[in-house]
Amino acid sequence: MNPLVQPDPGLFIWTIVTFLVLLALLAKFAWGPLLEALDKRQESIRKSLDDARRARQELEQIHQESKRILGTARTEAEAIVASTRADAERLREELKQKARAEATNLVKSAERQIEMETARALQQIRQEAVDLSVAIASKLIQRNLTKEDNQRLIDETIGQLDTQRH
Amino acid sequence: MMFAQPEAHEAIAQGAHEAAAEGFNAGELLIGHVSNSPLDHPLIHLPTLFGIDFSVTKHVFMLWLVAATVFLVVTVAVRSYLRQEQMIPRRFMNSIEALVEYLRDSVVQPNVGAKWVRTWTPLLLTLFVFILAANAIGLIPIFDVVGLLNHSVLHLDPESFLMRLTHGGTTATANFNVTAALAMVTFGAIIVAGSKAHGFVKHWKNLMPGGVSPALGIVLIPIEILGMLVRPFALTMRLAANMTGGHLAILAILSFVFIFTEMAGAAVGMGVGLVFSVPLAVGISAIEIIVVLVQAYVFTLLTAVFIGMAIHAHH
Repeated sequence: MNPLVQPDPGLFIWTIVTFLVLLALLAKFAWGPLLEALDKRQESIRKSLDDARRARQELEQIHQESKRILGTARTEAEAIVASTRADAERLREELKQKARAEATNLVKSAERQIEMETARALQQIRQEAVDLSVAIASKLIQRNLTKEDNQRLIDETIGQLDTQRH
Repeated sequence: MMFAQPEAHEAIAQGAHEAAAEGFNAGELLIGHVSNSPLDHPLIHLPTLFGIDFSVTKHVFMLWLVAATVFLVVTVAVRSYLRQEQMIPRRFMNSIEALVEYLRDSVVQPNVGAKWVRTWTPLLLTLFVFILAANAIGLIPIFDVVGLLNHSVLHLDPESFLMRLTHGGTTATANFNVTAALAMVTFGAIIVAGSKAHGFVKHWKNLMPGGVSPALGIVLIPIEILGMLVRPFALTMRLAANMTGGHLAILAILSFVFIFTEMAGAAVGMGVGLVFSVPLAVGISAIEIIVVLVQAYVFTLLTAVFIGMAIHAHH
């Protein structure tokens, strides 16, 4: 018989035995652990992707939140600046007003004092003048005149002065 | 005539001039290079049990060599891969992982369904790598190199183990006994798959298609049984014939060198070898690489399809 078509039951059985032993060994030591690990890795990749998506959503939320907070803070800051500016303006206005009033008062009192001083000086000068006149007149007239005469004269003179002045 | 192989081997090992002297027989050389080593002259004699000779022939030895190589290569790669802290496939492991995921997701799952993937993936993976390695080892002329070394350097005793290894083809899957055994595994897997999915009795009842008159069973059941038996037969013949064919073609083309040497002298033989035989043999060897892959894939795919058919039987 041609060796190409020679039946060989021994080889047939050896093949089945060899194959089944190889199958058992590979299934136990290679395919089983590998398939399990691949499944596990697939699961972990899916989980990582889920986590990444969730993290991205959270980040998006946080971003929105921070944007909102930033917006609020900005409007508040603007309000604070505006009110501060108004306060400062008012204060400045007040101070200006006060200073102006004080200055006016100062000028007024100075004027009053000047007036008073002037009046007093005039009074003194007048007194001095009177005394001086009396003294001079006394010297000139000596005893010719009584005290009453003197007084009358003085009054007359003052009256003359007054009329002259007015 | 099948025991004339030693001469045929001598012929290819010792070169053209001696072959010419002895008379070159291309037919014997071809057969000797693709068939098993002689059954009455095995590598290791083992007792005959129940009328079956369990002696270890060349093809049994090749099967063991393939199984051991496949087991070591795959297991070492997978184990060192799984021992890592992070699962980063490196070098050879990349191809194993790609193969495992491809077979699981594109061959097994579409046929047997998601529920049975884990049950049948190991079997189909083992079928694929085993057949692929057994096919591919035939493309590597290990024992021809041993024969050549013996002729020029070693000069071993013809009865030594290493010399006896040089007799017979290296491609175990070219032997229909081997492919029949693999097809038998498929046949068994189909029955197991059907029984697991539907129960043993229901699996056999599925031979009778539902929704037809019981009277038609007289015709349909024999057809279904025939179909059940034809599938493993087709698997057997497809793989064995493909593996034998390529090797026969390469050997026949290379034989032209010796035929022409015998007819017209060494110079003409060399010329034919350089211009015609070697380039063509290289081309066919390249095609063989594809054939080796495709046949392993086809066997695996068909097994997956048949298992799927048993699981998703028409009710």
